[in-house]
Amino acid sequence: MQSSASTSTPPPAARTKKPLYEGSTQFKNWRYSQARLASIRSTLNEAAVSVIRTTFEAYEPGSSDNVTFLTADEELLLVTFYSTMITKICGRFRFPEEVEATAVSYLKRFYLKNTVMDWHPKNVMLTAVFLATKTTNNPISLEAYTSNIPNTIASDVLDLEFLVAQSLRFEFAVWHAHRALWGIWLDLQSLPDTPSDFASSQSHIYDSAISHVRSSRLTDAELVYTPSQIALASLYLTDRELALKWLKSKEGKFQSNPDTPPDILAAIEAIANIITRRGHVPDVEAVREVDRRLKLCKNPEKVVGSKAYIARKAEEDKKAEDKRTRKAEEVEKAVAEGDPFGESLDKPKPGLVDYDDDDDD
Amino acid sequence: MCVFVLIASLSTQPLLQKVLRKLAFSPQTFEDLGVEKEVAVRRRLAKEFNKRREDFDDLRSYNDYLEEVEDIAFNLINNIDVQETETRIATYKAANAALTALNLQREEAYALALKEQEEFERKEREARAAQLAQEQQLEREEKEREQREIIDKLETSQKDARAVVAKSRANAAKRLATVSGAGKPQGLAAMGFGFGADYAKLLKSRTTSKKGSNFVPDEPHVPFNDDWYSYDDLYVFKEGYDDVVSEAVRKDREGIMRAGGYMVHEAWQRALVSAVAGLDLMPLEGLDDVNGTTPGNLDSNGDTIMATV
Repeated sequence: MQSSASTSTPPPAARTKKPLYEGSTQFKNWRYSQARLASIRSTLNEAAVSVIRTTFEAYEPGSSDNVTFLTADEELLLVTFYSTMITKICGRFRFPEEVEATAVSYLKRFYLKNTVMDWHPKNVMLTAVFLATKTTNNPISLEAYTSNIPNTIASDVLDLEFLVAQSLRFEFAVWHAHRALWGIWLDLQSLPDTPSDFASSQSHIYDSAISHVRSSRLTDAELVYTPSQIALASLYLTDRELALKWLKSKEGKFQSNPDTPPDILAAIEAIANIITRRGHVPDVEAVREVDRRLKLCKNPEKVVGSKAYIARKAEEDKKAEDKRTRKAEEVEKAVAEGDPFGESLDKPKPGLVDYDDDDDD
Repeated sequence: MCVFVLIASLSTQPLLQKVLRKLAFSPQTFEDLGVEKEVAVRRRLAKEFNKRREDFDDLRSYNDYLEEVEDIAFNLINNIDVQETETRIATYKAANAALTALNLQREEAYALALKEQEEFERKEREARAAQLAQEQQLEREEKEREQREIIDKLETSQKDARAVVAKSRANAAKRLATVSGAGKPQGLAAMGFGFGADYAKLLKSRTTSKKGSNFVPDEPHVPFNDDWYSYDDLYVFKEGYDDVVSEAVRKDREGIMRAGGYMVHEAWQRALVSAVAGLDLMPLEGLDDVNGTTPGNLDSNGDTIMATV
C-alpha cells in the first residue's frame, strides 16, 4: 500500500461528491469503534441492573440480594446465540440470505439500544426476522410465519414490532457483506490474468468465503467495519493471494487522502482475526446457564403477570385515566362557558395580522 | 301441482268464456300486470303485422298502416271491442298471409346474417392474435439465440470481447431489418381472409405512418444527476459475467422473474458497488462520539425513548 501512496491522485471531480456508502444510515448511525461498543454495552447493562434492582426492592425489599445480574458479556453471548437461531428459522422458511443477514443486523442493533434483561431475545429475534421479511421485500403472512414456529402466537411477534422498529430508528436499509462478496467475485473476472473458466472451476473458493461471511454475522464486525472490508476479509481467509491480488488492482484509485493512505490490509487482517476468534456458535451449556439466570433477573415490570408488572400497568392506566378526566373536565368547562370550541376568534388581536379576514372587500 | 288445481278449478268457473290451457300460462316478468299484458299483446301483433316501409308505395299509406296497428293494439290492451278487433286481425291475416310469411323469412335471414358476421369477426380477431403471438415468440427465440451465441463466442473465441459483441450485434440488427422489412406485410397478406379490403388498407397506412413520420426514437433513460459518488472509477463493468447466483434469472426464458423489472445487470452493478464501497473507510477509534450516538436513549425505567411525538 505504501508504495502506491505517491502515485495515487484521486480524480478531482470525484472528491467533491459524497460517496454513496457515506450517505447510508448504516454509516451515519450504526458505525462504532470497538471501545464505543464496549462502553455502550456496559452503560446499558449498568443502567438496567440499577433500574431492575430498584424495582425489586420497591415491591419486595431485600429480594435483590441473592440475584446475580447478567454482565454485558453475558448479554452479548445470549444475543449471539439468538443470531444463530435466526439462521435456523430462515433456513426453515427458505428465506433468501438477505432476510437472514438483515434480521441479524436488526437484532444486534436492537441490543445496542435495549438490554436483554428488559426484552428477551427470543421474541425480539422472531420480530426481527418478521420485520426483515417485510423490509427486504420477501413478505410472508403472519399466520404462515407463526404457525411454522412452535409455541409462537401472533402477539409474540406483533407486540414488539413497533418497539423494535423504533429502536432501529426506522432505519431498515442494511448494506450486507454477502452482496459485497458477490461483487468481489464478479469483479475478479475483470482482472487481466483471470482464466475464463475461473468462476465455475474455482467456485469452492466462493463457497468457503461466503461461509466466513456468515460467521462474521456472529461478531461485531459489521458494527465496526464496512461490508466490503468484511467480504474481502472473508476472501482473505479462504485465499490470501487472490484477495491481495484484487486489493492491489484497486490501489491508488481511492478517494481518500493520498498523504495518509488507509491501511486497508490492516483492517482486513483485523476482521479476519475477529472472524476466526469470535465467529463461532456459542457454547450451548454456557447459554443455558445465562438464560437460567436471566429468568431470575428479568425486569419484573416487563414480565406479564408479576406483581411489578401489574403495579406498573395500574399506574399507567391511572395516568391515562387522569388524562381522560382532565380532558373531559376541560371540555365541560368550555361548554359551561358557552362555546365548546374555546374562545371565539373574532376578538381583535392588537398587533397581529387578522388572518381570519379573507374577504376581498 | 298447484297450476293443475288452479286450472281445474278455473275451467269449471261459469263466468269464464275463455278456455285456459297450462301452456298459455307464463311466469310474470313485469310487476305491473298492465305492462305484462301490453307486452304479450304487442308480441303477438308483431308476428302478424310485420310490413315494412318498402312494402308501401308512399309514406302516407305506411303511416296509416302503423296507425291501424296501434289502434288494434290499444283495443286489445284495453279490452275495447275485442270481438271486432279480433275479426279485423283475422281479415288482415287472410289478406296479407303471403307478404307476412315473406317478411318473416326476411327477418330470419337478417338475424342469421348478423350472427354469421359476428362469428366471422370473432375468428378474424383470434387469427390476428395468434399471428401476433407467433411473431413475438419468433422474435423472442431469435433474441435468446443471439444472446446464447454471444456467450458461446465469448467462451470459445480468443478475440476481444467487445469486438465479438459488436459483431453479433451488427448481425442481429441486419437480421431484424430483413424480418421487419419483408416478413410483416407478407404475414398480413398471407392470412388471406378476414380483412375487408379497406380495413387492411387502413391498417397498412397506420403501420407505415408509424414507421415513417410519427416514429419516436426510444432514447435511453438518463437517471437524474445528484451529488453522489458511486465508485464508478473503482470497477469496470463487464457485459456479462460467469455467475452462478443469477443463473436462474438469466435462464428464465418466459421472463417470469424479470416481470417485476428485475434486471440482472442492475443486480450485478449493485453488487459491484457494494464490493468497493467504503473499502478505504477506516474503523472509528476510541470513544470520540463521531456519530453523535449516545449510548442508548433511556428513560428512568430503562425504556427506549425516542423523539417525543
